[in-house]
Amino acid sequence: MTDSPSFLEVRNLKKHFPPRKIILQNNTAPVRAVDGISFTLKEGETLGLVGESGCGKSTAARTLLRLEIPTSGSVHFKGKNLASLSETELRNQRKEMQMIFQDPFSSINPRRKISDVLREPFVIHGFKENISEAVVKLLDQVGLSSDYVNRYSHEMSGGQLQRVGIARAIALNPTLVVADEPVSALDVSIQAQIINLMMDLREKLGIAFLFISHDMSIVEYFCDRVAVMYLGKIVEIASSEEIYKRPAHPYTEALINAVPGIESGQQKQKLKVRGDIPDPSSPPQGCSFHTRCPLKEKQCEEMEPNLKEVASGHYVACLLKEG
Amino acid sequence: MSQIELDVRNLKVFFSTPQGNFLAVNGINFQLHRGETLALVGESGCGKTVSALSILRLLPEPPAKITSGEIIFAGRNLLSLNAKQMREIRGKEIAMIFQDPMTSLNPVLTVGQQVIETLLRHKSLNKKEALKISAQLLGKVELPSPEEKLKQFPHQLSGGMRQRVMIAMALACEPKILIADEPTTALDVLIQAQILELLENLKNETGMSMLLITHDLGVVTEIAERVMVMYAGEGLETGSTKDLLDSPHHPYTKGLISSRPHLGSTREKGQRLTEISGSVPSPHQRPTGCAFHPRCDWSTEQCKTQKPLLQTPNQNRQFSCHLQPGSI
Repeated sequence: MTDSPSFLEVRNLKKHFPPRKIILQNNTAPVRAVDGISFTLKEGETLGLVGESGCGKSTAARTLLRLEIPTSGSVHFKGKNLASLSETELRNQRKEMQMIFQDPFSSINPRRKISDVLREPFVIHGFKENISEAVVKLLDQVGLSSDYVNRYSHEMSGGQLQRVGIARAIALNPTLVVADEPVSALDVSIQAQIINLMMDLREKLGIAFLFISHDMSIVEYFCDRVAVMYLGKIVEIASSEEIYKRPAHPYTEALINAVPGIESGQQKQKLKVRGDIPDPSSPPQGCSFHTRCPLKEKQCEEMEPNLKEVASGHYVACLLKEG
Repeated sequence: MSQIELDVRNLKVFFSTPQGNFLAVNGINFQLHRGETLALVGESGCGKTVSALSILRLLPEPPAKITSGEIIFAGRNLLSLNAKQMREIRGKEIAMIFQDPMTSLNPVLTVGQQVIETLLRHKSLNKKEALKISAQLLGKVELPSPEEKLKQFPHQLSGGMRQRVMIAMALACEPKILIADEPTTALDVLIQAQILELLENLKNETGMSMLLITHDLGVVTEIAERVMVMYAGEGLETGSTKDLLDSPHHPYTKGLISSRPHLGSTREKGQRLTEISGSVPSPHQRPTGCAFHPRCDWSTEQCKTQKPLLQTPNQNRQFSCHLQPGSI
């Protein structure tokens, strides 16, 4: 690793949850939700984090923002180690790191007016003047008229409310926004509106995005680079153009193949994956994907692969791609 | 033309709620042919699930009320049958699987107890025979170690396995029609691919017809032969899947297709997705004229006042719009 401080640098980040104590059961293994991930993000860049539910992508994002205390590893944001910051310093730093949540109905307080929801970031961070003007400007930026200030969340549609969620995230001019499945709760015709809005804001404000999604086609469309997670680990990371054209990990290939396509006619050679994602409290030995991998070899059951560079900027953790 | 298994004619479903009364389904028509898969596609609130539940008469009355229409199955109008006659059809002739297998399985009964229920109700079997058939059914839906699974509870299974159990239950009496309401929406993409493949195989094996309800046009292309696009309780466009997706005649169909990024489509820098403006209308405030006109790029004065008639450009295609086919 170089000494020059990059925008965001995540090194060997781990988050293990302690096991639930069940009476008369010896369940002592912790759930390894995030098990040593490393990546960097440049200013203004968008990284997609994909994987099935339970692969640890949301925990990774929450741990990165220190909404969860990491078990080990470090996160450097603009050269500062987030783990070493005090509560006050961290709160100050959070102005620059914001989050957009999946379900706007559960992430926006139903008892408060939209104006109050959008005033909160300013109030928390000690702004006193011109807050009302700022709120109206924010609404305008996300394509809502100022009439919405007196509404409550139940008076709005999912798409409109997600716009409020985005407005709240950009209120304090963050440089990093973590978007956790921002469109998956929305109707198909509304998803495009929200994706377009985020693309416009990204261009206008130069925000770097960590975009968490299970939707491979939206990730290809929205992201510069893509990291694929499986059982708490990154198994492949590359530019989005490269990873969709030349997926190197069998899991990535299966994910891309499994997207039901409108492009009829083209029958892809499908790599099929059987079974379910294993229990993250007892991940398989060797390569954690070997239990489902259609290309599995003997060595995969014994040796654990590490991320290796197979092309410029394209890293993959698969024994079959080594040597 | 193959034989018509199910014929839904001018179905209207009315709801009375404290917030007011509205028509959730406003006169839809479709035919399901023997052995085919027909997809009802639309966004939330468009009436696709209500239509499906009406077929099995599973809507709670009140608040719902089927105010007009006919649903013809095997020469009988399902809407005129009494409760006892309906019970003979549900599960035996027409079966259904639901979106969320976690909430549609009973958490305090074992898988076995739930699968044999349908068998015991409709076939003269004893419990032992029913359990034996249940194990075969679980094997048929490709669940590993079926005998063991029969003794397990739903919480011990993963989402994909639970959906397989639901499918096994639905297929227990070899129904003529399977209604699948968003069968893969709650599942991960890899599991979704497995379940879709399973449904397709089972359909080909048994020769049943399938009515698939979904919001995902991708899923439609994978397994449906024909599709009906619904909006605000009405069928806007019906046709064979490939034809309809290649050359949509209705602006809403076109909007749905192009608002999704397609895998492999080369993204040019800064290129925006085509969006459908506005949002889905509340059922309480259905727009006048064509229900889609406030969101339609082609809308004219006529669209605001006059409800478009159904056009039939060829025998496989119907759409309801004031525009001529091919003008979008």
